[in-house]
Parts: sequence; structure tokens; C-alpha cells
Amino acid sequence: MLSCGMRRSPTWIALAFALVSSGCTLGGGAPGTPPRGPRYFGSLRPPRGDVLRFINGGEPETIDPALVSGQPDGRLARALFEGLTTPDPRTLEPRPGQAARWETSADGLSWTFHLRAGLAWSDGAPLTARDFVWSWLRVLRPATAARNAGLLAAIAGAEDFNRGVTSDPARVGLDAPDDTTLVVRLARPVPYLLHLTSCPTLLPVPRRAVERWGAAWTLPGHIVSNGAFALDRWRQNDRFELVPNPRYRDRARVRLARVVAYSVDDLNTAANLYKAGRVDWNTSGYVPASFVPWLRGDADFRSAPFQAVYFYSLNVTRRPLDDVRVRRALNLAVDREAIARDLLKGTRAPWGRLTPQGYPGYPPPPPLGHDPARARALLAEAGYPGGRGFPRISILFSTSEDHRRIAEAVQAMWTRTLGIPVELRNMEWGSTLQATTALDYDVARRSWIGDYLDPGTFLDIMRGGDGNNRTGWSDPRYDRLLAEAAAERDPARRLALLGAAESLLLADGPVVPIYHYSTVELLKPWVRGVWSNALDLHPLEDVWIDHSWRPGARLAAERGPGPVAGRVAPPPGRRAVRAPWLRMPAAAPAPAPAPVTAFAPGEDRP
Amino acid sequence: MTRFVLRRLLLFVPTLWVIATLTFFLLRLAPGGPFNAERDIPATARAALARQYGLDRPLAEQYLTFLAHAARLDFGPSYKFPARQVRTILLEGFRVSAELGGWALLVALLAGIPLGVIAALRQNTAADAAVMGVALAGVSIPNFVLGPLLVLAFSLGLYWLPPALWEGPSSRVLPVLTLAAAYVAYVARLTRAGMLEVLRQDFIRTARAKGLPERAVVLRHALRLGLLPVVSYLGPAAAAIIMGSLVVEQVFAVPGLGRYLVNGAFNRDYTLVMGVVLFYAAFLMAFNLIVDLAYAWLDPRVELD
Repeated sequence: MLSCGMRRSPTWIALAFALVSSGCTLGGGAPGTPPRGPRYFGSLRPPRGDVLRFINGGEPETIDPALVSGQPDGRLARALFEGLTTPDPRTLEPRPGQAARWETSADGLSWTFHLRAGLAWSDGAPLTARDFVWSWLRVLRPATAARNAGLLAAIAGAEDFNRGVTSDPARVGLDAPDDTTLVVRLARPVPYLLHLTSCPTLLPVPRRAVERWGAAWTLPGHIVSNGAFALDRWRQNDRFELVPNPRYRDRARVRLARVVAYSVDDLNTAANLYKAGRVDWNTSGYVPASFVPWLRGDADFRSAPFQAVYFYSLNVTRRPLDDVRVRRALNLAVDREAIARDLLKGTRAPWGRLTPQGYPGYPPPPPLGHDPARARALLAEAGYPGGRGFPRISILFSTSEDHRRIAEAVQAMWTRTLGIPVELRNMEWGSTLQATTALDYDVARRSWIGDYLDPGTFLDIMRGGDGNNRTGWSDPRYDRLLAEAAAERDPARRLALLGAAESLLLADGPVVPIYHYSTVELLKPWVRGVWSNALDLHPLEDVWIDHSWRPGARLAAERGPGPVAGRVAPPPGRRAVRAPWLRMPAAAPAPAPAPVTAFAPGEDRP
Repeated sequence: MTRFVLRRLLLFVPTLWVIATLTFFLLRLAPGGPFNAERDIPATARAALARQYGLDRPLAEQYLTFLAHAARLDFGPSYKFPARQVRTILLEGFRVSAELGGWALLVALLAGIPLGVIAALRQNTAADAAVMGVALAGVSIPNFVLGPLLVLAFSLGLYWLPPALWEGPSSRVLPVLTLAAAYVAYVARLTRAGMLEVLRQDFIRTARAKGLPERAVVLRHALRLGLLPVVSYLGPAAAAIIMGSLVVEQVFAVPGLGRYLVNGAFNRDYTLVMGVVLFYAAFLMAFNLIVDLAYAWLDPRVELD
């Protein structure tokens, strides 16, 4: 009796939420709804004042820029701190941030950043180039244990310093000759450096606060920031409240008087809050997938491709997955179209590569397709005709209804097409991670979200011995192609080398790509300055509340896709065809050699 | 009486020690560790983290250090939320959970006892059947169904009450009702059963024979003993209602203690799990002690020894 609430059966929860979701679509008469005009999801009563309230996602583990690794924490770190550059909210192109200008040497290995004059922290202390040097060295110190320290790896001496080979900071290519000059020496050219400088990992942190408070420096009352906002309140599992930083270099641009970021991780709760008008923005990742078919026609629904891929990895250290023919057979037996169409209802696009779409100039190899006959032939060639003698393999996935459904579909496809015995193995998140890291699995569900818009951020994880490889697969030819690409100065040739590497990877089949992620969000019509882009990145200093908005007004201009993405969003008010925005752009995109970069969560949710 | 309380308090110590020890070692048996994540970190960084949290030392030493700190109610910083001390997390979460649970318990008693008394006084009538029917429904509907249904009606349909969050009095209504529902039903049933038994006893007949008004018979004489089953249920119920509002906290995004119970274990947040488990154990034992004391006060036949 007492534990009745504790026995959570997924079926019951699903039923209860299905009731809610169906109710959501029925509930007419929301406050402020006009009789005619575009259809919206729920309340249309704007907030009083210039307040932005949004669902930020699960409680962030930390908001220390050096340590953040997910989207909710990254969003807060970017609002509180500003790097040398900041991304344009539409194009994601780097704009001058704390640096006013910069120059680079002819070989691209030396960069000089000139900070703006009179920069200050929110407590009034001056901010100098030495703050950047100290902050970046802090990221690299082994004791900091920054998961994203690799973003600084191209700086001369940084890798040795990070691995503890040397503990002398003078060996790292960072120098601050005076208060406003920062000189960065690189070990190899980085075509996307100006994009990296806006990533949370490279944001400056206040040395005095960090040294005084230790890990607790990020708490309200301790924290000192240099970005557009300052931290006013942080209640765990509830909310962050931000107010404009009066000492921000461009205070006039910040139009919000308050930002309330709710730490809500329950998707249904998030959607309920949005519908009831308690939040203005239900951010991507927190809109229940089951709502999407109903929401598609609403004017406040937005969806765009997001650079992340869902895939299965194969443990190549185990028989029979050590045989490339078996791996190829498994790949060819997966009907990705059917999964995307029938299971995911067109909310995700089927995907046959490890790298996502939309890298300008990248020659992607042909995607892995569905070819049952060829799959059977390959399996027979490997010595298992009709699946005879094939040992039982298991698909490992972390607890989630979606993962289970996809695993069941793949199980059925492999069993029916190849005649091999496949079982499902479900573990909670932490145990799944441990099992994949220890190579204690046959087939495991994984996903990867890029750090910056460049194929390298995906291909690097499959380098032999990389901590994120987790397949046991390594190929010297692949590693050599990646190394050559890293040293290549010509952008086109570099991308061609990466394309060759991916082609090799797909042919060898240690990964079975399944689908391409997309953002799905709800945004009230009075919120302006939030632009769709492929990295789901929205600088809050560009967001404002349009108090002149009235029900029935035309849609804000920014509801279209950002030019960089070059994709077509589903036309508002019309039921979208299945994921039309995931088609590759027909025309070659305009030359934009530098890949667009941003910090996206490297981790996905369980 | 004093001796009884002292002895019980002294018994807390070995009990808590056993619980702490079991939890400590069970937690270490779970695969993985607090620093595992989708994105790998270099071995040097992993070693630095392990050193920082003392995880590089022998398990026996870790255990002794933990005991020494726990004795001073110091569990250290959370692994998952390094900016926060476990103690702070517990106290902040408990304040919210206690408020939510306190209101729910109050609603449960204020609604459940009168309903139970009415049902007992009108045994085998339509009123009795109605109250017990509602009670059955209240017990049977899990709160993860009731919560969303209430939200559907009052937040998404009528737009009267907020569907979630913990800000302002209006946000308290739905979570408190959801949490209280099952307990209202249970309290009503227990009150009814207790009252039915007491009302048949000789001293009630005596009271009536003396000519006391029925109101006084029921409220002053019968109710006091009739509530004994409710009181004995109250200890575990209070502990469960305050600490176990996990689902309600999830559905209504209430920043309480409940979700740390589960998420802490999933995240292998060793320090947080230890803190939560010991806090819960101490809370449960304290409530049981209070119940025993209340028993002695309500029923003169009970002697504490």
C-alpha cells in the first residue's frame, strides 16, 4: 500500500501520459486564443515584463565552464560568460566578443587576439588577457579533469600538459604580453579556431572566486561573471534565475530583465508547463515524441536537423563480429527507412553514415543501405549460411522505451533476414556505460553529438584506442587518414581526406548508423531572437519579448531556417510531409570553408 | 519513560551503522563509477578525480574515513553536483518534501478521520458504502495516474492551477491532493475499523448509560481509542509520505528529496546515496519512536518499558 506510488510500471505511465497528451490536443479555449488565425499549443497570455521563462532540462551537474558537458549547463555557462568570440544567433559565424579583433600568421600557427579596452568582471575587477591564459591552463590541468580539454589540444604543448607529461605552464603556447593582448601558438592549424573560442570550455573564469571558493565558486553570492547575465538564484532541481550583468561590455544589447531557466527533466511536465503558459519556450529534447504528430501543424512548433547520430556499435573483439563480412551483413540487414517511418513516425530521418548532414564542402561517402539478399550472401560467405552455427548475440541498450522499441525492430530484422539468434539486454544507464567501456557487450546502442560543425568531431571517436571508440576496432589506415587531415592546410583537401576515412569506416562496419537527430521545440510567438540552427544554440543576449505581439499576428521572421542550415522548415500551419527538412540541399552550398562550430552536448541522455 | 527513550535512542547507533555499512558496500558492488559518462576523460584526469575523492585508497580505508565523517554528519560534496555539499542538498530538499508531505498528511487526517467516523457510525448504510467506495478508489489509483489526470482537468483544461513547479500557494494544491489521496483513503478505512471495534465495548455502553450525549461519547471516549490503528500507521505513513513522494515530485517538478533516492543510485553518486539512505533511516526510526510515545499517551493500558 505504502509503496503504491513507487511501483512505476512503464505501461501505466505511458497510459497516464497518453491521456494527458490526448487531452492537450483537445483542450480548446486557452486564454488569449483568437477565434481564427494560426493555431498555437495552449495559453497565449504573454508574461508581464521582459522575462524569459524556459525549460532548461535536467539539473545541470555544474555551470563551471571548464567542466560543463551537456546542453542545459552549456546554455547557462554561455549566458553567464563570454569568450573571445560569440556565435551569430542566425549563422553561427563567430562575432567579436571579448576580443575586438585578431590576426593570424601566414602559416596559421600563431594567433593574436586584441581584447576590448575596459573589460570588467561583474564585481568590477578588470578582465585581462591573463584571465584567459589562467582559465585555459586550468582546463588543461589534470586535476581539473575537464572532459572537453581535448578542444584545446591543438595549442602547442597543451596535450603534454594535459596528460601530465610536463607541469610547466610556460611550455604551453599561451602568452599575455600585456593586459589586452593574447597570443596563442598552435601545434597544427585549426581552421575552426574562432568557433572554438566561443565554446564553454574556452570561456574565461574568475580566478579569485575559483581560488577562494573551490568547487563552490559557481554558487550565487560566490560567482563572478563577464557575460551578458549574472546569476541571481540557483535552487537545485528547480531553477536558475539570471539578471543582466550591469558591467557587460554591451549592456544596451541585453533586452531581457530576467531569465528563469527551469530545471525540469520530465518531458510531459515540460510540455504541460508550456501549454499552461507557465513557460515561453519548451526547448529541444523536452517535447515528448508522442506529441509531435499533433503539434506539427501548430505555429509555435519548430523542428530542424541537429548534428547528432543514433547508432549501434559492434564489439569487434568478439566472435563472430570480428569478421568484417558479418559486420557488413548486419549493417545491410537493417531497414532504417522502416524504423524512421513506422517507429519514429517521421520525427527522425533514417541515416546510413556516422557523420551527420550539412557540412559545407564535405564529400560524404555513400550511405549504408538496406540489401537483404547481399546481407545473406555475405553471412554465408563468412561461414554461416542461413544463420546456421551463428552464436547468439545480444543488443545492449540503456533503459528507455524508445531504445527498446528500436532494439526489438533490429532484433526482428536480423532474425528474419539472416536467421541468427539475437537477444535483448537492458541495463540502467551507468551499467550500460561501464559495459561498453569495458567491451563487455556484442552490440550496443550509442549516440554521438558533435562539438562543432565539422565531420572530424564524429570521425575522431573511431580512432584506434580513443576513449570514445568502445568497439575495439582500429585500423592504421583510418588513423593515418585522420592524422593527414589534421595536418592539411587546404580545407578542401582536408575534407576529402576525412571523407576517405569515413568511407573506410563504413566499409569495415564497426558501427551501424540508424537515424539522424533533429531538434523539436515549442516557442511562444512573443519570444523573438531565437533562430533555428543546426547546433540548437541560442545566445540569450539576442532574445527579447515582443510586447507588441497580438493573437493572430503574423509569424516572426526568425521562424524560418537559418541560412547556414540551408534547409526548409515545415511551412507553418500546414501538416508537414515526412521530415522534408532532412533532405540534403539540392544546390551546392555557398563556399564557407570554416566549419561552423559550437558547443553541443558531447553526452547524450540515458 | 526516560529510560525507554534513552534505550531506543542508543539502539539507533548500531542500526544506522549496519545500514550504512550495507549501503556502502552494495553501492561499490554496482558496476561502473561516478565518473563514467558517454564522453571519456583521459586517464590522468580520472586518476586526479579519484584522488580528489579518495577513491584511490583501499576500500577498507575509504570505509573507515566515511564512517568517521558520517559520525559528524559530514558526507562531503556530492559527486554529481560538486558545488554542493550533500548535507545542503538533503536539508534543502527535505524542507520542500516536508512541506509537501506535511500538507498531504494534514489533508489525509482532516479528510480521512471524519470520513471514517461517519462510515463507522452509519455502518452498512449508503453513506458507509459511498465513503468506502471512494476510499477503495483512492487506494487503487496510483498517484502517477491521478496526478496527470488532475493536471489535465485543472491546468490544461480549465487553466486554473499551475501544472507543476513549486512557486506560490496555488502550485501546492495539485501535488498535495495527489499525494494525499491514497492516504485519505487508508486513514478513513483504519478509522472506520477502529471505531467499529471500540463502539461495541462495554465502556461505551457505560458512557451511554450514564446519559452522556452521543457527540461526547463518540468524540471524547470512542475516538481516542478508535484512532489507535491510525496512530500506529502514522509513523511509517509520515515517513513514507515525506520521503517517498518521488513520483509526485517528478510529475509536478517539485524540488524535493524524493528524486535523489533513485537518481543518486543511477549516477553512482556515492556520497549523496549514503546521505539520503542514512537520513531516511534516521527519520523512519525517529518517527517510530514518536508513535510509540503517542501510543502510551492515547491508551493508558500501554506501558513503556
